[in-house]
Formats: sequence, structure tokens, C-alpha cells
Amino acid sequence: MKKYILRRVIQILFTLIIFQSLLFIILDAQPGDITNLYLLNPKITPEAQEQMRVVLGLDKPPLVRYLRWLWNFVQGNLGTSFSHYPREVMDIIMERAPRTLVLFLTNQLISFSVGFFLGKQMAWHRGTTFEYGLTIIGVILFTIFTPWFGLMMIYLFGIELNLLPIGKFLDPSIWRNVPLDANTIFYYLIVTAVIGLILIILVNRLTRKTSRIVRQIVRIGGFVVIVGGSILIWSLTPVGFLAGDIVKHMILPVLVSTLVSFAGTMLLMRNTMLETLREDYIMAARAKGLPESVIRDKHAARNAFLPAFTNLIISIPFALSGGIITETIFSWPGMGLTLLEAVNLEDIPLAMGTLSFVGVLALLAHLVADIAYAFLDPRIRYQ
Amino acid sequence: MQAQTTSSSKITIPIWRVRLNLLWKNFKANWKLFRKNPIGLIGLVIIIIFALMAISHPILMKYVWEPRVYDPVIGYDIEVFAHPSPPSARHLLGTDPLGRDILSQLLYGTRFSFILGISSALISVIIATTIGAISAYYGGVVDMIFMRLADVVTMLPFIAILVVLSAMFEFTGFTLALVYGLLVGFGGQTIVIKSQALSIKVKPYIESARASGGSDMHIIFTHMLPNLLPISFLFMMFTVTNAVFAEAALSFFGLLNIRMSWGIMINTAQAAGYLLAGPEYFHLLLPAGLAITLLCSAFYMVGRALDEIVNPRLRDR
Amino acid sequence: MTIKMLSVKDLTMHYTTSRGEVSAVNNVSFEIEKGQSLGLVGESGCGKTSIAFSLIRLLPDNAQIKNGEIILDNENITAMNKKQLLQVRWKGISMVFQAAMNALNPIFSVGDQIVEAIQAHNSDINIKNARVKVAELFTLVGLDPQLMDRYPHELSGGMRQRAVIAMALSCNPKLIIADEPTTALDVIVQDRILNQLKEIQKRLDMSMIYISHDIAVIAEVSDRIGVMYAGRMAELADAKTVFNAPIHPYTYALLGAFPSIKGKKRVLTTLPGEPPDLLNPPSGCRFHPRCPRATSQCQQEAPPFVEHKPDHFAACWHPMEVKNV
Repeated sequence: MKKYILRRVIQILFTLIIFQSLLFIILDAQPGDITNLYLLNPKITPEAQEQMRVVLGLDKPPLVRYLRWLWNFVQGNLGTSFSHYPREVMDIIMERAPRTLVLFLTNQLISFSVGFFLGKQMAWHRGTTFEYGLTIIGVILFTIFTPWFGLMMIYLFGIELNLLPIGKFLDPSIWRNVPLDANTIFYYLIVTAVIGLILIILVNRLTRKTSRIVRQIVRIGGFVVIVGGSILIWSLTPVGFLAGDIVKHMILPVLVSTLVSFAGTMLLMRNTMLETLREDYIMAARAKGLPESVIRDKHAARNAFLPAFTNLIISIPFALSGGIITETIFSWPGMGLTLLEAVNLEDIPLAMGTLSFVGVLALLAHLVADIAYAFLDPRIRYQ
Repeated sequence: MQAQTTSSSKITIPIWRVRLNLLWKNFKANWKLFRKNPIGLIGLVIIIIFALMAISHPILMKYVWEPRVYDPVIGYDIEVFAHPSPPSARHLLGTDPLGRDILSQLLYGTRFSFILGISSALISVIIATTIGAISAYYGGVVDMIFMRLADVVTMLPFIAILVVLSAMFEFTGFTLALVYGLLVGFGGQTIVIKSQALSIKVKPYIESARASGGSDMHIIFTHMLPNLLPISFLFMMFTVTNAVFAEAALSFFGLLNIRMSWGIMINTAQAAGYLLAGPEYFHLLLPAGLAITLLCSAFYMVGRALDEIVNPRLRDR
Repeated sequence: MTIKMLSVKDLTMHYTTSRGEVSAVNNVSFEIEKGQSLGLVGESGCGKTSIAFSLIRLLPDNAQIKNGEIILDNENITAMNKKQLLQVRWKGISMVFQAAMNALNPIFSVGDQIVEAIQAHNSDINIKNARVKVAELFTLVGLDPQLMDRYPHELSGGMRQRAVIAMALSCNPKLIIADEPTTALDVIVQDRILNQLKEIQKRLDMSMIYISHDIAVIAEVSDRIGVMYAGRMAELADAKTVFNAPIHPYTYALLGAFPSIKGKKRVLTTLPGEPPDLLNPPSGCRFHPRCPRATSQCQQEAPPFVEHKPDHFAACWHPMEVKNV
């Protein structure tokens, strides 16, 4: 097991270096360099421009620049932003990243759970109108044009029904005289979610060897207690209403991004369940006299879970890309919006830095998911 | 006992004819299976409708519509007072903020999306199939390099990369199709195709082909490639979906240098501030958004139906 | 005093396919006493596995028991509802699957899967006691009890098969069906496992149905032999009689195709033709197209399965009188 993890980590690091190198090649492939941006300024003479290039180290040969680029990256130095001068790129990213993370993690969690559950049901009710209907709905939602869909949803919920806020992630009027800033709240929200998740996983592992009825009660009850407890604790703190504001703004973006992505897991799960149900050990389980629900949930679904999880791993970069679109529609100031802004303002350091970060995020998520998979599939561990 | 051969028992049908017949038989059998899947059929029907729409545009432009008024990019209708105007007899879907006919834009965009989607898909599939087959056949260092590359590519967020690339290089429709096709071609599809090619490589007829003196290229092209076609075709469907979606998203962000596409239609509406302006302006968003959604869904549905053919375990018993 | 454990009367089972109805099992009748083993032998597709699945009513959606009665120790299986069926499976009749099958779920340990079977039928046994029982079973089949927590992919083919046998024994069934349990194993392991099975059967005084296409294997383990052809039972008698004095021409041909180590060298007889397509079975006796003794009566009317000699059943209009084959 440890060998597997070590191998994966090394592979990911290797990929990271390649990724950064690719970014460098893209950057370098442009004709001219950053100093060209100052060409339009008549006050800067060609000599001054040359001096700038020396200062920035742009006169050195490509290999040196490349190594410097990597070295800077490893140290976390992603440069200084143009449009937010003199803030450092890393600084801006650190501010915006939690907002993207919150959306991303919530979306992945809900979309996978819903997709898993519905896919299971679809396989079980194969050939019925339920299955066909859900397939069509799923396909349309999966391929729907997200900006258009998002705008429709905003119109419906934000303007017509006036239920939910239209954009951004907080209502400035509520936050006016508050001592804390949004990022701290985000941070604590993420901490709560992580603790909650760990508790749920713990409950699940502890109840593995107990009887079925006890297990169901403890798991569902535990889930309710943990979620309810978190909400309760938050509402008792003086800043609870701030968290509530953020959550209220999160509902629509999460709803849209989940609706657009759950069908991928659902349809795959249905396919995998159908394949799994053809396996011999399912027939053997039936011969053992086990009830259908046990066969479906314990034997078939647990096996079908693995490819669905692999698919989740593979679709992480797509989810991040989708996050960019969602953030744009809802003006949610996370990494995606930052990337677009930077590109539109030609803030090259910020654009490249954000892209680097998104890449790193994708690779990290991949690594975490790979390791989780090793825990779930006993066949992988012994390779 | 020896087999007696006489000149009358020589095979006179040319071999390309035989192969063609086999291909046709194969196609007919697969079509029979495809027909059974209602979702695939719906997708196919939608694609055909869109194809008709695409073909109709140049015909309409040449014979029915007045170019000055109905051109999707530079048309302008002086006779209508305020632009954007709602649907009317003159303009079936209304006009956009710049005075152009929306129906014309929609039809033109159909043609554009087809070309973009299919070229992206072709490029990516040609790359992925070639690399997959070569990796599987030769193995060794070549295999390792391509697989490592594919590993890297699958972990990258495409749209984010395209966003940044579009800032540095001006993307036209053609270059976008090229870049997207390249990105996809070197990625996850290669891995799947390679494992499929591997399972073909170990079949006995490949060995016998080699033993009877077939060159490597011959084996790859005549024996392996035809068996990879179903799965390659399957991937093409999904690539079209994703390419059309990517172009629409990037156009929506205003990052592309394309004259007219569905994404540009939505972008125009957004730039002029009509996005959330109310139901009377829906005609600006609805046609384009619906078109993108439907075309992507259609290709996806066909892809899913093909999936059931390529993967027999999913079929109904 | 012999106790009748299993009684099957006129069992008929059909599959409904897109091309029509396949008559997989047709009017099959036999009985098994307690502690007795019956070997079902026949070519592929003759219906022996279909009978096995019909006995525990584990049939796919497109299959149906059209007629017949299955009585296990005075309980009518054909009349049971779903809930009763779940109980009688494994506890009444259990199965040892083909070695080639993945009868074991790859993501659970072998021991866990046997514990699951035990707990499904004995709600008052807790996990600790169930595991003790699993350890006992493992020792019985010749496996190290410590292997209980291993995953199926960590065991060899022979070990997996023993584990599957242990699983089949776990609820003390009245009848075990062994469906080609050694086909995918090499000859030496096959021999060991067959002997183990026979010994366990005798020791626990269990009834057994042994299914194989290999008549040599059947001969080793069975008290009685039932010869199946095209969904019908051709002949049923005790093993010695079937070998030495078969009366159905098919049995005779089957034996003739099997080389004997002892005795003279002889030309192996082969049967011309192929087993019939059960979608459109031949009229009358299903064997008549290939039978050297067939007459027009054989083509028109299906022969009844009757007792031609004491405890020797066959379905033939012109049974043979052969001595010392």
C-alpha cells in the first residue's frame, strides 16, 4: 500500500513539473516579452526597455529562464500582478482560492451522491419509463449550455420568484460593520465541512461489523446529528448570520453546477451496475438466499462504486473547468473569475499564476482521489 | 487425401470487394442493434434536423433572402425601428442588438458548429487511434512516452488552459478546432484505445499475419485499425459534444475571434446588456442556448447508443 | 429405512427468447434418498444445469417452470413464495459452482462471505461464533483457517474451490448440487477435491447431485447416474448398472465414446450428428435422428420414462439388452 502511495506521489510530482514546463513553453512562445507592453509608453526609451529586460532577467538564455521559472514556482513565487499592482499573485490566489474550493467540493460531493443513488435505481428498474425518462433528463442536463442554463435559473429564482440572490457571494449591506472578513468565514466553513466528513466516515467504519438494522439507524441518525449539529453550533455563534448569508448565496451556484454534472455519474453508475449484475457472484449471492436489497446494495453497488469513483477522479479537471463558467455567471469571485479577469486585462502573471494553481489543484485532487481508491479496492493494494 | 484444385475454383472477386462486403455486412448488423435503442434514434433524428438546417442557410441566402438585410454578420434591417426587435413575420426569430436576423445567425451557426465539432473530433480521433495502435503494437519506450503524456493530459483542465491560450494567441474557429483536437487526441482516449488495440494484438490472427510476412504498417492498418473503428467512432461523438460546448463557452467569454457562432450570439446579447433583461428579450438567448444544448445532447445520445453496441454486456438480453 | 430427500416429478422448464420458446427441461423425474448421490451426465446444453437452477428456482426473468413438482424433505419447493424460497436456499439446497466462475465477490474476504451466508439463515448467531464455524469448515475442506480473511484473488484456483465447497456446507444443507466443480482445475487437484467431496458427503450423510459432462468424473462420485439428452432424462439407474448394462442407445454410445484403460483396444464409437436445437426439438423421441435403432414409432411418439427393470428407468421404445460392455 505504502509503495503504491509513494509511486503515485512521485508520478504526480513529475506531472506537475511537466505541467509547469508546458506553461513556460506557452509563455515563451509568444513573440516578444513582457516588456513589450511598455512599448506604447513614449517615455520609455529603447535603452530603458533593455535595462528592464536585464533587471527582469529576460536577457538570459532560455534554459536559465526556464530553471528560474521552475525554481520560483517551487518557492511559491508566482510573480506580481499587473492589474492589482503591487499585490503578489500568490497573495491574490490565496484570497480567492477558498471560495472556489467551497463550490468545487460541495458540487463534487452532492453530484456524486445523487448520481450514485439515481444510477443504482436506474439499473434496478431497467427498461421502465422511469429509466428512459431519467436518461433523457440526465443527458439534456449534462450537455446543456451552462451559461444559458445558469442565466435561466438566475432569472427564475432571482428575479421572478425573488427567492435567492442573483450573484456574488455576499450581501454587502449585512457585512458592513462586521469585524471579520469573508475569507475567515470561508475558512471556518471548510473546516466544519471537513470535520463533518471525517466524522461521517468514522461512523461508517465503526458500524461495519454490526448487524444491518443497527448499522442503518446509526448511520442515518449519525448523519442527521452531524449536519444538524453543525448548523446549530454555527447559529449559536455571533457570526452565524454571516455564514448563513454566504450559504444563501451558494445555493444557486451549487444547484446549477450539480444539476449540470450529476448525470455523468448517474449514467455511468447505471451502466456499471448493469454489468455488475451479470457477474457470477451476484448469481451465487442469490443462490445463498440473500434478499434482493442486500444483493443490490451490498454486493452489486459496492462493486459498481469503484468505476464510478474512477470516473469521478477523471472528471476532476472538467469539474474545475466547469467551475470557471459557474463563477462567471454568478459573479462568484473565485479562481475562475480571476482567471478570466486576468486574461481580459492582459495581466500575464496573474493569468499564468492562476492557471498554475488550478493545475496544481487538479493534480492534488487527483492524488487524493487515487489514494482513496486504494483504500476502497482491495485488489489495487497488493500491486 | 489431397485437396484437388482446378482452375475453375480460383477466387476471382478482388479483395477490396470482399472487404467492402464485410464492412457493409458489419454496418448492417450494427445498424440493427442501433435501431433498437430509442435514445440513439432520437439523437440521430436531431442531428439530421440540424444538418438540414445547416444546408438550408446558403440556399436561403442565395435564393430567398436579401443579403443586405439577412446576412448573419453584417446584415442590418433599416425598415425595423428598434433593434433588438421581437419575432415578427419579417424576422421569424427577431433581430439582435446589432440589427441582424437571428434565424439567419442560428442557421449559419449550425453550419459552423458542425464543421468545428466534426473537425475537432476527426483530428482527435486520428491522433488517438494512431498513437493507441502504435503504442500497443510496438510497446516499450514508445508506449511509455505516450502513456505518460496521456496521463499528464488527462489531469489538465482544458477550458482553463484554452482561456489562457486564447489571451496569448488569437483563436479562429479553425485554430480552436485544431488545438482542441490536439488536446483531446493525446489524452484519455489514447489510453482506452491502446488497451483495446492490445487485446487485438494478442489475437492469433495477428501472429499468423506476422508469420506470413506482413510488415508492421500493414498489420496495424489492415488488421488493427478496422477493429478499433467502433470505439474510435464512439469517442468522436463525445468529442463533438465537448468541442461545440467549449467553443460556445469561450465565445461567451468573448475570447475568440470568430465572426458568428451560437456562442457569439449569446455574447452579443450579454455585451449589450440584455442577459437578464426580461422575458421579452428571451428571443436573444433562447434559440442559441437551445441549439447548443440540443446539438450537444444529440451527439451524446448517439454516443451512448453506440456505447451499448461496442460494449455488448450492456445490451438487453 | 431409506428416507426420500428429494423428489422431482415431471419437471418442465422453458426459456422465452426473441426467437421463440426453448424447451430446456422436459418432463424430468427422479428421486434421491438421504445420503445418496446422483450424477447427472450429458452433453453441453442437455439441460443438466437448467435442472440445478430450477431446483432452487434461481431462474432468469425469461425462464419459467411450466410444469412439475419439486419436493425437498416434504416441503414443496415449486409452491413456495419468495420469503420461503429465500430460507430454503442454502439451508435446504446449496450449490458448489463451477471452478471457473467468480462465485466469490472480489471485494469481500472469503470468510466474510461465508459468515454472511450463515447469518442470513441463522439470525441468532453473532459474528464471533459464525467465524468459529467458518474455521471448522475450512479445516473440513482442507484449508488453513487463517486464510479466512484473505480476498479471493489471493487464493489459488484449488483453494478457491475448496472455499466455495466450505461455503456450500456452511448451513448444513440437506442437498448439495455440485455443478462441474472441478472442470477448470488441473487433474491432480481435481482428483484431490473429488475425493474430499466424496468423503465429506459420506461423513455428513448428505444428499448430493453431481453435474458433469465428464462421465469418468461422474462414475467416481455417484451412487446413481442419470443420463440427460436434449432436456429429457434418457436413463436412470445405479452407477454400476449404467456402466455395465445400459439399456438406452444414447448411454451406450456415450460409454462407447469413452476409452477404457483396461480391456482390449477398440475403435471408439462416435455419434453422428449434433445435439438438437431446443428451439425446435425433434418430434417424438428427441434422440431419434441420431439413433441407430430408431423406428417410425420413435419419430411419432415420445417414449415414456418408465421402470424397465427394478430401479432402472429409461425413456426408449426399443431398449437394448447388453451384457458386460
